Amino acid sequence: MFYIYKTSCISPQSSYGSPALSELVASAGNKLMAQEPVYSGIPPGILRRMGKAVRIGIGAALPLIADKQETQGIIIGTANGGMEDCIKFLNQIIEYDEGKLTPTNFVQSTPNAIAGQLGLMQSNKGYNITHSNRGLSFENALMDVDMLLAENKNAKYLVGAVDEISAYNFRIEWLGGWYKSEDSSNLNLFENESDGSIAGEGAAMFLAGNEKQGSICRLTDIHFFQTDSAGVVKEALTKFLAKHLPSGKSPDLFMSGENGDRRMQKYYEACTGSLAANTPVLSFKQMCGEYPTASSFGAWAACEILRTQEIPMHMLRTSSSTSNTPISSIFIYNTYKGNQHSFMLLEK
Amino acid sequence: METAELKSQLKKQIVEFLNLTTIKPEDIKDDEPLFGEGLGLDSIDSIELIVLLGREYGIDIKDPKEGRKVLVDINTMVDYIEKNRTK
Amino acid sequence: MRIFVTGIGIISALGNNAQQNRSSLSSGKSGISSLEMLSSRYASIMPFGEVKISTDDLIKKMDARESGVTRTDLLALHAFNEAVNNSRLTPAQLSDPNTALIGASTVGGMCLTDELFLDSTSREVGSPYLSSYDCASPVMYLQKRFSIGGVINSINTACSSSANAIMYGARLIKQGKAKRAIVGGTDSLAKFTINGFNSLLILSDAPCQPFDEARRGLNLGEGAAFLVLEAEEDVKDKNCYAELTGYSNTNDAFHPSSLSDNGDGPFLSMQGALRTAGLETSQIDFINAHGTGTENNDLVESRAMINLFTTPPPFVSTKAYTGHTLGAAGAIEAVFSIFSLVNDEIYPAVNFEHAIADTGLVPAKKFEKKRISHVMSNSFGFGGNCTSLILSKV
Repeated sequence: MFYIYKTSCISPQSSYGSPALSELVASAGNKLMAQEPVYSGIPPGILRRMGKAVRIGIGAALPLIADKQETQGIIIGTANGGMEDCIKFLNQIIEYDEGKLTPTNFVQSTPNAIAGQLGLMQSNKGYNITHSNRGLSFENALMDVDMLLAENKNAKYLVGAVDEISAYNFRIEWLGGWYKSEDSSNLNLFENESDGSIAGEGAAMFLAGNEKQGSICRLTDIHFFQTDSAGVVKEALTKFLAKHLPSGKSPDLFMSGENGDRRMQKYYEACTGSLAANTPVLSFKQMCGEYPTASSFGAWAACEILRTQEIPMHMLRTSSSTSNTPISSIFIYNTYKGNQHSFMLLEK
Repeated sequence: METAELKSQLKKQIVEFLNLTTIKPEDIKDDEPLFGEGLGLDSIDSIELIVLLGREYGIDIKDPKEGRKVLVDINTMVDYIEKNRTK
Repeated sequence: MRIFVTGIGIISALGNNAQQNRSSLSSGKSGISSLEMLSSRYASIMPFGEVKISTDDLIKKMDARESGVTRTDLLALHAFNEAVNNSRLTPAQLSDPNTALIGASTVGGMCLTDELFLDSTSREVGSPYLSSYDCASPVMYLQKRFSIGGVINSINTACSSSANAIMYGARLIKQGKAKRAIVGGTDSLAKFTINGFNSLLILSDAPCQPFDEARRGLNLGEGAAFLVLEAEEDVKDKNCYAELTGYSNTNDAFHPSSLSDNGDGPFLSMQGALRTAGLETSQIDFINAHGTGTENNDLVESRAMINLFTTPPPFVSTKAYTGHTLGAAGAIEAVFSIFSLVNDEIYPAVNFEHAIADTGLVPAKKFEKKRISHVMSNSFGFGGNCTSLILSKV
């Protein structure tokens, strides 16, 4: 359990700086690409080398560390890091037949380049790590921070997640059947019942600590696991909620990671079936698309809702009224490809 | 190729190769140090420049120490290219 | 809470199991050789630390016939099997929600560099490896094969990845998020990494010479190692190889691919590990140094050791035996550190002739039997990621 004081997000939506989420930005070509700001805080000498994942990761983190905010460490989750650089380097290997190659793509392609660069820019010699466990990279980053804050009570940490769309990983995931084969739009993501979702990307960053004062909300608990079975998900959910909520009570909002892939629906239905019938259901993948660390966008959006007490209409998946009662708890469930699952409970 | 022409070609190549987005090729002075104070390039850039010399001018620098003598400023690079280019 | 190592498994250029690895180290026999299992332009030009079993033989030997399995996965499976058998973990224990698996890999399925290129650019129908390329793949493979029930994670901090996997596993146990953690790393040789390190001009065309004035760069290697970590109260009658007493993760915050002149990151990680362990510098009997054999690392690591220890204890870089196994290096060298503790012996530097003029530090030069109570193991990586571990006699 820990508190979140500040958040920052670069995503396909207008999320950076002063977020404006009421209008849903549309996808193009089955992709939701991040809206990148002008990176005035990144020295040009450093910026010129950065691929997109590093750029949006650093860019999203900057507002949280701008005022010389001291953090004791940097914890990043990313499944792939700079995938574009990785494949650019691969192209060089093939094109020049293992001849003389330029190293920048190689150095920038390592997933820890983001956390490393943040450490460098912040002169932060403390704990620095990159969790790369595919669809549970962000979740492991959160668990790490949770442990760090139990070990160092007065510390603050920068935690977040990044992943990018590159032409190459788009192709690999598309070949794998994870993106829709027909031309689709995020504006009606949940209407066609077909396989696959649409691709997304983004970076979400959080400033975390133990002190309640000045916080937006707290991350009450995080739980994640591997299974193919919707029954196991349901069972785990019941246990998770029983641990944190009085018997029979559901969280104020259920934020679902559903992504328009009909094969994933059974997992989300297992969750809605376990919550009180009138629990409003929100979705967020129409905003950020599907990617391994999309749950970090979900967590960011949940923090925004708790902070502003406003829910963008396009997020509502149920007609149940959200009434005028304050929103004090949001439960997020997400699955990546139906075998990695996570629960997060955020409370005011 | 005239030396002046080679210089301006090299400047363009350097800007493009190193993605020096905030610098115009014509702003690089011939005797401005590439590393440290001048353009502020670093050790990775020096490797990139050695690759550039290989790909564009067919020059193979194997010894990094020799690289350091060549990669001082535009004048030293152009001088070396004129003497050693194979394409 | 005390954390013990109850199982070890390893495969490297020095051999396919713990016993073979220790025997090569004891006799000062390096595993650096020419490349036979992978085709690359550099196969005949540079030496490598290669595991001399073909990918097909690994598949047959372990009956690992799942679709999309890569060499990186197979090396991991090989070391994992040895560690788990060694610790006598049952299938029920593996699938228990209290069993964590924390792995590390930097190359993952990118060992299939050409396959990845085709899948990502031109193929109309994907290869069986579509979901095997990322660095989480080896861990995901092991999780699925053994239905491991607890926290699953892969860490990527470049060359310090598996040292961080060990640290993360220990912290999970200490915080009650797991009762046992199987921790380690794996990497196989790949055109991707060979060309990557070569593009930085830090590969040596001769066997590497860590801490030698004439060092010319590193040799890449491959391998995997896993350790089983358990809390003191769960160890019961098991054989304990060592106690994990110290760990620390810091950042050098200097440059994306090289260390600062004074080695702040390495200094702080070594110092931090001593602090976690509650040990004085004088109590460290042996250091398994990061010692890649590059100009930058060895000089900086030497300076950091001198700054912290004044007179450093005997140290060696076993990368002259195995090559630099990247994401596996931290775990492989933790296993080597355990060999020293269990057998009271230190292993000699190979290929070493002359001390670095600037520091005068001389690594351990001959195999020696002596009492070893605490060993420090260093792992530093790109991105300034530095991690030091301390393993202690039980």
